[in-house]
Amino acid sequence: MQTDTQRERFTIPIGPQHPALKEPGHFRFSVDGEIVTGATVRLGYAHRGLEKLAEKQNWVQNIYLFERVCGICSHTHATAYCLGVERLAGVIAPPRAQAIRTLVCELERIHSHLLWLGVSAHEAGFDTLFMYSWRDRETVMDLLEALTGNRVNYSVNVLGGVKVDVTEEIAQAIYKGLDFLEERTHHYLQVVSSDASFLQRARGVGVMTRQQAEVMGVVGPTARASGVTRDIRIEAPYAAYADFPPQVIVDERGDLEARFVVRLKELLESYRLVREILARLPEGELTVRMPRRIKSGETVSRVEAPRGELFYFLKSNGTDTPVRVHARTPTICNMTSVVRLAVGHQLADVPLILAGIDPCFSCNDR
Amino acid sequence: MKTTEEILTLAREIAGAWDWTTEVTQPEPNRLDVLLRNPADLVAIVTALRVKRLGYLAAITGLDLGAGELEALYHFCAGEVVITLRVRLNGRETAVASLSELIPSAEPFERELREMYGVNIIGLPSPDYLYLPDDWPAGVYPMRQDFDPQVLSRKT
Amino acid sequence: MILSEKGWQTVFDRIKTWARVNSPWVIHFNSGSCNGCDIEILATITPRYDLERFGVKLQGSPRHADILLCTGPVTRQARERLLRVYEQMPEPKFVVAIGSCALSGGAFHDCYNTMGGVDQVIPVDAYIPGCPPRPEAIIDGVVKLLQKLQQGEKAEVGDQKPGELS
Ligand code: SF4
Repeated sequence: MQTDTQRERFTIPIGPQHPALKEPGHFRFSVDGEIVTGATVRLGYAHRGLEKLAEKQNWVQNIYLFERVCGICSHTHATAYCLGVERLAGVIAPPRAQAIRTLVCELERIHSHLLWLGVSAHEAGFDTLFMYSWRDRETVMDLLEALTGNRVNYSVNVLGGVKVDVTEEIAQAIYKGLDFLEERTHHYLQVVSSDASFLQRARGVGVMTRQQAEVMGVVGPTARASGVTRDIRIEAPYAAYADFPPQVIVDERGDLEARFVVRLKELLESYRLVREILARLPEGELTVRMPRRIKSGETVSRVEAPRGELFYFLKSNGTDTPVRVHARTPTICNMTSVVRLAVGHQLADVPLILAGIDPCFSCNDR
Repeated sequence: MKTTEEILTLAREIAGAWDWTTEVTQPEPNRLDVLLRNPADLVAIVTALRVKRLGYLAAITGLDLGAGELEALYHFCAGEVVITLRVRLNGRETAVASLSELIPSAEPFERELREMYGVNIIGLPSPDYLYLPDDWPAGVYPMRQDFDPQVLSRKT
Repeated sequence: MILSEKGWQTVFDRIKTWARVNSPWVIHFNSGSCNGCDIEILATITPRYDLERFGVKLQGSPRHADILLCTGPVTRQARERLLRVYEQMPEPKFVVAIGSCALSGGAFHDCYNTMGGVDQVIPVDAYIPGCPPRPEAIIDGVVKLLQKLQQGEKAEVGDQKPGELS
């Protein structure tokens, strides 16, 4: 018999190319038998150096660059960037533009949460749910395409407004699509809170208490699933969120099931918001004139991405190129929690714990 | 929940306790900019913010001011208020203490600051690169103004 | 009928090509892309687009794969891994570069940490442009590659000689 200390410890490297990871990240787990005793993460596989490139390009070119920080939440990045630049320039986009930004933000949240539902169901070994949720996700992809002309990286934002308009026809299509999705979401909500085999993978696994969540500084749905009411859309409303306030959805349980439930309920909330925006869409212009050179100064722009708070810091020196654009993405905040939560769990649970924060490595690395 | 005014007053009070080394400005209605003339005060001020439960560390931004001067911006968010602690650093000579003991989520931010700007951060647990590739030349900091991509001879 | 050795070889080769074209296993490698292309690749295997009807199966291990679907501008850190994944794949192997940034670096062309495209690192057989390409375009690209395989144009990469099958 071996005592605990004599037993051999193994280190299991996972990534950057691994079936359980859809994106390149590298983890090292030290395990004792099946139990994880330590974990470290190595990022940088998707580090391209966007922030440096941004210093060489002008303000307009950078919109398209920052959209490509992350293909899943591209609109959120562009919105954060554009709102920041507009604030520096002292320009406010017209109400209709702000409402359309908000609308696309919510549609993007719908697509992102459905995508996440599928991917994490896949990690839980529940491929049926993966296929179904991705099939349903195509509905919102169609709507986004009809509205913006592209399925991913929509380029809705320009400095000083937006470049797409919502026609009556598209509005009707969106209403119809949402009705379908709403029904499906209720179904998924029932599945994740009643399917026995799924609950065994999710209930009570990866528990993060409220206090832990606050100490580790997690953001977004991951934090809200641990009872932390932190949502930039309400705390510091941007775009048109002051006129269309969402409800915060929190869950006190803090386990994986709670993260599923919170995100699914957020979907329902997004459907409501989209409908409300469509019903009360302000009339008017889509853009205002923006100066080519942006007044010198510094500003901070925060928006709520599907994964949590997105933080942009912008600095201008009065020319047509920025001095510094710094993007802090939600996954960096949440990544610390994975490394800590994994400890004490079975190695087989780790992919699901990782998926639980909805990681995005390309956001992380930039 | 505290209101914006309460948060701002509280933050001013905290910064005021160091008033011989700090300079407080309010560039925008929701932002408080605290310039720390002495980097050694950082940990104490952050501790004071934590004690008052004022905000969470949202990001650390590095800036290259040119002429070898660097600046590290610690952004704390509370509600819609952003409190920014600015620390002036002179290249590698000045070091700044790590906050990762106090705030675990500071670690990736600080590692980014170290890799991208070469700021010497004391007390960071891991010496490895987090973002830059393993074969990155030592002493080259991509976000500094004098960075020249030529030093990375392209392998094909 | 008794076939000569050469005759048997031809028959075997035909069977191999038939099998390869009818059930190519693909592996997906993300070399630092923005995820846009990756979610579109995943979308192709889900019910709406259903790439599996061409017998294409997404595979986790490079050792079992015939086709490498590569996205991203290849960052310096991912370069080594991409080479390793490529070397682990059994011959004959084919590479499809997906998305503008895998073709030329795209939006990240001038970034300090990118190599500027997959073909700077490994040989590429098919290019699918777009930022990101639509799932239909990805399917089209893969099917074109399969057609090429069928016609034996790629034979010099594999174990057949050009023209042997036609
Ligand atoms: S081609 Fe465009 S969408 Fe695809 S990974 Fe590159 S930047 Fe993203």
